[in-house]
Amino acid sequence: MTAIAARPARPGVARAPLVLTAMVVLFAVLGLSGVAFGSTWIPLEDVARVILGFGDKTQNLIVLQLRLPRVVAAILSGGAIAVAGYLLQKVTRNELASPGVLGVVDGAALGVVIFLAALSDESNALVTSIAYQPLAAAIGGLTAIALVFALSGRQASSAVRLLLFGIAVAAVAKALTMIMMLVGPIYRTTQAARWIAGAVNEVNWSEIQITFLALVPLLVITLLVARRLPPADLDEVSAQSVGLNLPVVRLFIFVLAAVLTAVGVAFVGGVGFIGLMAPHLARMLMGRGVHLGIVGSFVIGAMMLLAADLLVRVAFAPVEVPAGTVTAILGAPYFLYLLMRKQSYDG
Amino acid sequence: MTDDRTQHRIAVENLTLAYGTTRVLDALTLPIERGKVTVLAGPNGCGKSTLLRAIRRLLRGSAGQVLLDDVDIDRMSGKDLALQIGLLAQSPSAPGDMSVEELVRLGRYPHQTMMQPWSPRDAEAVERAMAGTGVTGLRTRPISSLSGGQLQRVWIALVLAQETDVICLDEPVNHLDIAHQLECLDLVKRLNREHGRTIVLVLHDLNLAARYADQLVFVREGRIAARGTPAELMSAKLIEDVFGVHATIITDPVHGSPVCIPASRKAMSSGVDEKVAEAV
Repeated sequence: MTAIAARPARPGVARAPLVLTAMVVLFAVLGLSGVAFGSTWIPLEDVARVILGFGDKTQNLIVLQLRLPRVVAAILSGGAIAVAGYLLQKVTRNELASPGVLGVVDGAALGVVIFLAALSDESNALVTSIAYQPLAAAIGGLTAIALVFALSGRQASSAVRLLLFGIAVAAVAKALTMIMMLVGPIYRTTQAARWIAGAVNEVNWSEIQITFLALVPLLVITLLVARRLPPADLDEVSAQSVGLNLPVVRLFIFVLAAVLTAVGVAFVGGVGFIGLMAPHLARMLMGRGVHLGIVGSFVIGAMMLLAADLLVRVAFAPVEVPAGTVTAILGAPYFLYLLMRKQSYDG
Repeated sequence: MTDDRTQHRIAVENLTLAYGTTRVLDALTLPIERGKVTVLAGPNGCGKSTLLRAIRRLLRGSAGQVLLDDVDIDRMSGKDLALQIGLLAQSPSAPGDMSVEELVRLGRYPHQTMMQPWSPRDAEAVERAMAGTGVTGLRTRPISSLSGGQLQRVWIALVLAQETDVICLDEPVNHLDIAHQLECLDLVKRLNREHGRTIVLVLHDLNLAARYADQLVFVREGRIAARGTPAELMSAKLIEDVFGVHATIITDPVHGSPVCIPASRKAMSSGVDEKVAEAV
């Protein structure tokens, strides 16, 4: 019987170490390129020198204050949004679910715009600490997802209803954000617009610190509750009869995903579609295991935002185009592809 | 099975349950015997599936109670209940790319703890459940590639892996051909006979119900219309009262169980005849 117990249970697990290794290598290459590429090329050995503390003054400035923060911000944000997407897809049993589709991103955007507008003084300075911006994003995101649930009511278990209400709530949040930007102080508009498109280039170390401190406990919680996720793949009755407390788990996961998204977008902005694509790719590459799925989603999400940022830096230089535009341009067709595949599935 | 425990594994007492204003179960009382096969039958919408779910506490009544070994299930933890009662839904679903073994493993969920997510005991239970249902050879197959009969056996394996003493199955033979219907119900019977499990089944086919039930229960409009052995319940009069069909009861010459031969639907029979006449 021990022989049976020792046998690897899932076919996907066998190749997972290989895939994971490949991903980590690619991740490192992307990260280093993210530091090296830009308006001035910094050779990799100089990057290493700066990181080890032996760089010259200009290189120190470029690497530590300009390049590295955006690389780290891309990793943290891309990863957080991707994990949120993974959780939402799991708990709604729908691969079309994502923080963007369920209104969380636009809700968070509205929260941030209201925060910026309400708490700025005439001289364009915030009257409170920027550390509260993730909080504003979280409140906005949670309000949006709570609304989606309240509107879906008893049909909240139907993924299609959830998605429809999510899209509706997202549209309303987007419209309100627009109004806030148009009637708000003019000097805030550009800032808000950049935020909404999702840009990693203006993130500074103190903001990264806040993101990091919020993200670590959230990811630990995510890995701890991952054990609850496999039965959520079943229909409601079956999930509950194997002992999953579905209403509680579902609510918890939704809140967790909303907060993860909020932390992810708080400083970087509404990066589109990573929450949809990354979990999907993670499942395809790493199989159905939940812990691997979460780690894989994080790494792939991080890579996607890194790559997007790298692309806008190289392709559009010297203009700084928000990285979120790239993810949206790639993500929207992907969403359509999933949607069409889903339809042919059902029909 | 010690003597001091009651003969009834489950006792539903005056259970009332409503969806909104529609009362589905109406002060329903039903004792379910330990170690027996109880089959619930009744017309569509009579509340039998609801009753099954209420027994598993997937639905809660507004009045009355369900006792499991004389303990109100409302006072039990969700985990305890999942360790004691397994339920196979009427049309269960799981992602198509899930493997057979992965699906069956989900039955071990209530046995797992944070500290011990997967033990050799869990693996053994999964192997036993797959062997018992004859799906071991399919373990790596994605469930979307299975036939209806295979898939149903896999779902039953999931419930078996849960290793509960009480097993509830909601129309387990729906959508199965006759051979797979018998195979599935024979498996259920064997679980009952060999392991003394208490089985509660919802079945639509009265003849299958009569053949496999120790206790047959007719449910009508949220109440128990009758219960007893198949021999007691399979009477033309009762079947007419509960299902609204004229029927003749004969004895199956092979198994000796009563067989119902429906003649025509009582209330509609004249109307149908007229329609047929018109059509001709």
